[in-house]
Amino acid sequence: MDSHHMIHMANSIALNFSAYPREEAIKLTTQHLQDFWEPRMRRQLHEYVAQGGSGLHELAAEAEKRLKK
Amino acid sequence: MSVKIFIPCDMAALSVGADAVAKAVEREIQERRLDAVVVRNGSRGMFWLEPLLEVETPKGRVAYGPMTPDAVPSLFEAGLLDGKQHALCLGLTEEIPYLKNQERLTFARCGIVDPLSLSDYISRDGYKGLQNALKMSAEKIVEEVTNSGLRGRGGAGFPTGIKWNTVLKAQGSQKYIVCNADEGDSGTFADRMIMEGDPFVLIEGMTIAGFAVGATQGYIYCRSEYPHAVKTLRRAISIAYENGYLGDNAAGSGKTFDLEVRMGAGAYICGEETSLLESLEGRRGQIRPKPPLPAIEGLFGKPTVVNNVISLATVPIILDKGADHYKNFGMGRSRGTLTIQLAGNIKYGGLVEKAFGLTLRQAIYDFGGGTATGKNLRAVQVGGPLGAYFPEKLLDTPLDYEAFAAKKGLVGHGGVVVFDETVNLAKQARFAMEFCAEESCGKCTPCRIGSTRGVETIDRIIKNEDRTKNLEVLNDLCEVMLDGSLCALGGLTPYPVLSAVEHFPEDFHGTTA
Amino acid sequence: MALLHELDYGTPASTSQQLVTLDIDGQSVTVPAGTSLMRAAVEAGVNVPKLCATDSVKSFGSCRLCLVEVEGRRGTPASCTTLAEAGMKVKTQSPKLAKLRKGVMELYISDHPLDCLTCGANGNCELQDMAGVVGLRDVRYGMDGNDNHFQKSSPRYVEKDLSNPYFQFEPSKCIVCSRCVRACEEVQGTFALTIQGRGFDSMVSPGGTDFLDSECVSCGACVQACPTATLIEKSVIAKGQGEHSVVTTCAYCGVGCSFKAEMQGEEVVRMLPYKDGMANHGHSCVKGRFAWGYTTHKDRITKPMIRKNITDPWKEVSWDEAIAYTASEFKRIQQKYGKDSIGGITSSRCTNEETYLVQKLIRAAFGNNNTDTCARVCHSPTGYGLKTTLGTSAGTQTFDSVTDADVVMVIGANPTDAHPVFASLMKRRLRGGAKLIVIDPREIDLVKSAHIAADYHLQLRPGTNVAMINSLAHVLVTEKLLDEKYIQERCDLEAYAKWSAAMAQPKNSPEAMESVTGVPAELVRGAARLYATGGNAAIYYGLGVTEHSQGSTMVMGMANIAMGTGNIGRLGVGVNPLRGQNNVQGSCDMGSFPHEYPGYRHVSDEATAQLFEGAWGVKLEREPGLRIPNMFDAAVDGTFKGLYVQGEDIAQSDPNTKHVEAALGAMECVVVQDLFLNETARFAHVFLPGATFLEKDGTFTNAERRISRVRKAMAPKNGLGDWEITQRLSNALGYPMSYTHPEEIMNEIARLTPTFSGVTYARIEELGSIQWPCNDKAPEGTPIMHIGGFVRGKGNFVITEYVPTDERTTAKFPLILTTGRILSQYNVGAQTRRTENNVWHAEDKLEIHPFDAEHRGIRDGDLVTIASRAGDIALHAKISERIQPGVVYTTFHHAVSGANVVTTEFSDWATNCPEYKVTAVEVRLAKRLSEWQEQYREHSELTRRIGSPVAGD
Repeated sequence: MDSHHMIHMANSIALNFSAYPREEAIKLTTQHLQDFWEPRMRRQLHEYVAQGGSGLHELAAEAEKRLKK
Repeated sequence: MSVKIFIPCDMAALSVGADAVAKAVEREIQERRLDAVVVRNGSRGMFWLEPLLEVETPKGRVAYGPMTPDAVPSLFEAGLLDGKQHALCLGLTEEIPYLKNQERLTFARCGIVDPLSLSDYISRDGYKGLQNALKMSAEKIVEEVTNSGLRGRGGAGFPTGIKWNTVLKAQGSQKYIVCNADEGDSGTFADRMIMEGDPFVLIEGMTIAGFAVGATQGYIYCRSEYPHAVKTLRRAISIAYENGYLGDNAAGSGKTFDLEVRMGAGAYICGEETSLLESLEGRRGQIRPKPPLPAIEGLFGKPTVVNNVISLATVPIILDKGADHYKNFGMGRSRGTLTIQLAGNIKYGGLVEKAFGLTLRQAIYDFGGGTATGKNLRAVQVGGPLGAYFPEKLLDTPLDYEAFAAKKGLVGHGGVVVFDETVNLAKQARFAMEFCAEESCGKCTPCRIGSTRGVETIDRIIKNEDRTKNLEVLNDLCEVMLDGSLCALGGLTPYPVLSAVEHFPEDFHGTTA
Repeated sequence: MALLHELDYGTPASTSQQLVTLDIDGQSVTVPAGTSLMRAAVEAGVNVPKLCATDSVKSFGSCRLCLVEVEGRRGTPASCTTLAEAGMKVKTQSPKLAKLRKGVMELYISDHPLDCLTCGANGNCELQDMAGVVGLRDVRYGMDGNDNHFQKSSPRYVEKDLSNPYFQFEPSKCIVCSRCVRACEEVQGTFALTIQGRGFDSMVSPGGTDFLDSECVSCGACVQACPTATLIEKSVIAKGQGEHSVVTTCAYCGVGCSFKAEMQGEEVVRMLPYKDGMANHGHSCVKGRFAWGYTTHKDRITKPMIRKNITDPWKEVSWDEAIAYTASEFKRIQQKYGKDSIGGITSSRCTNEETYLVQKLIRAAFGNNNTDTCARVCHSPTGYGLKTTLGTSAGTQTFDSVTDADVVMVIGANPTDAHPVFASLMKRRLRGGAKLIVIDPREIDLVKSAHIAADYHLQLRPGTNVAMINSLAHVLVTEKLLDEKYIQERCDLEAYAKWSAAMAQPKNSPEAMESVTGVPAELVRGAARLYATGGNAAIYYGLGVTEHSQGSTMVMGMANIAMGTGNIGRLGVGVNPLRGQNNVQGSCDMGSFPHEYPGYRHVSDEATAQLFEGAWGVKLEREPGLRIPNMFDAAVDGTFKGLYVQGEDIAQSDPNTKHVEAALGAMECVVVQDLFLNETARFAHVFLPGATFLEKDGTFTNAERRISRVRKAMAPKNGLGDWEITQRLSNALGYPMSYTHPEEIMNEIARLTPTFSGVTYARIEELGSIQWPCNDKAPEGTPIMHIGGFVRGKGNFVITEYVPTDERTTAKFPLILTTGRILSQYNVGAQTRRTENNVWHAEDKLEIHPFDAEHRGIRDGDLVTIASRAGDIALHAKISERIQPGVVYTTFHHAVSGANVVTTEFSDWATNCPEYKVTAVEVRLAKRLSEWQEQYREHSELTRRIGSPVAGD
């Protein structure tokens, strides 16, 4: 998918959890990506981060690191 | 002090020129620079004398009438302010036998006071009933009204106290007092007279009713054909508000009672209480089935007292003088007074308030003076357009709910309409069906279709088409209407029809064929 | 079964707990206090003659046929209006009563035409029945020369009103029983009918105009209530009375009305709402009752078709060929692009059994989890939000619960248009005194309609729902309006502490949010107070909640305040999604989502996965599959190539049409299973004709979790039920299925799904319908959820941070477009557009506020362009003050409109439910249709060609 669109989706998830304490917010974001994102979407996210990951919300970036690869 | 000259502003007087008379009197006072004032009072209820002019003199009020504007100057010439003789002079008003022989309780002030003078009202025992009521519990007020034997003067004759008790006992966040002032019976005018002539007595009666059952809002549903009554009531209500007799802490009671006049929708059927409530709620005036009784689920579904004007206007004197005083008038189970309204072909039309028990003959002859035409009386219809036609031989029936019922008649609201020998009762019977067809709300089948079929069937009888069969059909139809109708309109229409057939068979059997 | 006639008790049931025993015609009968004598008599097996009484409306007492005698009472009271009292002795028959009844009937018939044998109601006329019952033998008034309504020469005669497409009104046959008027008021709540005139002049009238021009919403309640042929279905006039009935469930909205299809052989004569239907209690709307003509519409495709390219004409083939071709294509694609390169979409219009089968096909035969359903674009946030907070992906209440509500809060829903039968029930409660709070950018009908007015209408800006719910929560928290005891007992206190602290922040106050929502703070405070203190408070919501970038957040926000005020877990309260399609609840329950098995169990849950692996005999994928928008993205990326779409029109209903079309165009095998060549079929390579709900057995689950039977009334015109088609495809793909009846599928569902374990066809037959969970703990089902505790354990408060949508107005796109529905059309319109319902809504129009219109020189009826960053279309403008300045509104029922050309790819953060309700647009006068619309016409023609069948094929 269009990477701009993918980042928008990932960031929205992070933003909606951002009111929680940081650690909890990261956990929730990670779990959400794990539960609802099809593997090729998560792959695309990993690839995007590997290429620099610009524009990714900080919580989403942290969550990406914790996702099962 | 200025001399008071009374000229009624009652609609009956106005219709025969009371305003012109008043204007002429004012002019005379001005031109003659006299120390006199004109007071516009209610009517005394002697309509053949209207406009009736009265002047206050040391020996009492002296009456002159029927007045015309032309006769006014000569009245002054003759010494009106001193109550001097004149061709139109009737002597002391109170001594006119028509009035003197009455027992005026409800109408005690009517025609005497300035309807919009609260001080007049109070100086003549007004608000005494309410003052007494304020010292009593709600239950006690209801008990007093119950003990007085007062029954609904609208026509049904249901004991007022029992109705009040039902509302008192009913659970409801809001309760209402509704005054039925949709006076629509032919030949009746008592409600109008009291509303125009003594509005405070109705306001007081409704306030007492409100305190008795726990209602904080009252409505007077007045027929649209009574613009003067509506105007008078509205002004009286605002005066009552200004003087603390209505609203929050009404009459210093600590309780609220608000009152409003609503103009009726111009249909006879809106005089029926459930239909009236529908109309008050802003809907088509259609009959509601009972139960639920309005006392349980009335206006806007809340417990509601619906009483006729006269019933409510009688409450103050009961609370003032006590139940026993009131109960001592009357006969049998009809206690107190009846406001008989004489109309039709009658010499002395007007209002006669008299204890129940007077015979119809006494009312018509002793008060009414017989027919206006001087011809023989042939029929009398008592109780409005749905009352039975009584022949001469039933004239000795006493005016009493039960005595009338026994003769298949009804006292109703007390209207008495007299017919002389020229009347054709088949046509009157047809008229009854026609009236029903005209005024039917259209809800129930017997009334909606039956009244139209009734007219057609009587027409066939009159035209002598299959007369015997059609008389039987008419009889059966009357039975269906009588026992099958939803309300009294369809249910009572057979009264005039069947009484006409029963008492005046000759009118249905060939004389007009 | 034979023609079904439900017993008419004459008056509604009393709900009193107190019982009274009385004697009717010598039989002792015990009934609740408040029961009419008429109803008590029916209970005792005695039918008192009646005409104006029917148990769907309050007693009226007008016909006077039902008179009875009561010992010790004067007269002959009407049994419909006289209430049963203990010890009463009632006689329903006596010579006196017989005479009165005959007299009444004689009057009726004296004003009724005697054309019974040629009358549409012949054989089903209560007037006829009553004339028979009372033994009327003569009308002594005669029939000629009387004043009447039925002779053409009579001045009272009024011509038939044929304006409504489905029923006619013949005043000359009217007996003025007012049943129609009362049904319109009491059952439907529209107040379109009245009695005009007085006495013998009295006439039923749709407000002095004809039916079509009146306020009438064509629900048919009046037709059903009419005891004569005065109001009668045109289909009955044309065909006559049915000879047998089939009880089934409506295939339109999520209310799930129960219907009797009255049949002549395999032909439907009329649909009558079934009185014993628990969702609708004998009521219906214009769609369910009348708009079934599509089932036999000439556009319906009944033969399978295939083609290589979408620009080729369709070729009709045998079922075997079509199935074999599909299987080979899917196999080829998977071989070439991998196992995950295909997927499917289950249908929320099909049965539970069929939906279950499609997801099973995908998981077991395709070997992946690429299954999704239309709930993705409607109520997926409901599933996520309610599961997260309460523990179940479904509404908490039974519909009837609204009759116990004291405060009704309607958020982003338009029940009178989209869920009309439930709206009627709600309106009845509102007329009965419940308070109403409406949160909606548009002045929906409920805000102000006959005898109903909202106490609060919080007319917020589109896209600010969460700001609003947070403001409401702020008031509840800071003004201490929460039910602390309830929270302490039933909720997760740590979560509660975090939530209440977050909500209490000043930034969430109504005052602070006023500039965001545009709603005066005082109104918000007032509404919050009313919600918390007005007694039983119930929330009903629709797509105006879910179809936002924070759809799921809003669902949780509502659950939060409901929990916080103790408004969950009993009658009269709750959080209730008004779900769109007939079986959208069911399709979700059946595991249509890519991350969940039936019963909402995550695919990664090992125990569940093993349970299904054991039952299905295959290895199953543990990773979630693609959601619909993800499928489109993957298709554009080139990794998703094949799609099996059952009964869903993604090309019309999904947002950003150009993107959807690009995705579909990039696929190598699109299989559409539908009744019609829908929009998606324009991009399809295989068309498998589907069956209508009248042609198969199964079950639907409505918005209150009610599982109702769908029963076959006729053979499928296409030859196969949809479940059979799926089964054949599965077999062709090498995964064997051998069900012989949908009942076997339901048994499998029950075996594998704990919340369905008690569900069997036999049990549904017995109970009428069942609300899940239905299992050992709740053998009769569960009308109200979360009684005594939440399904998830402790109620979970979730912090609902307001995150404004990125879809913002700009100088270029200064207006917000929001979309919605209308009563007469249903969703993409595939069904309703093929019925006479078009007379009410022939095209989609753009509602625009006079201020915005004037500013742009737009007058009512002008063709205008609506342009967003995604695309533009042209519609005719309708000047309206129902929406605020700055907001425009349209419906999306007509494919030619292309409303979704304008909507964008933005979606709910949690579920990817599209943000249909907020699109920044500009509107300007147009000279012609948009480019897309022009191309659509061409493309539509090109791709819908059907080639002549080859001889011998």
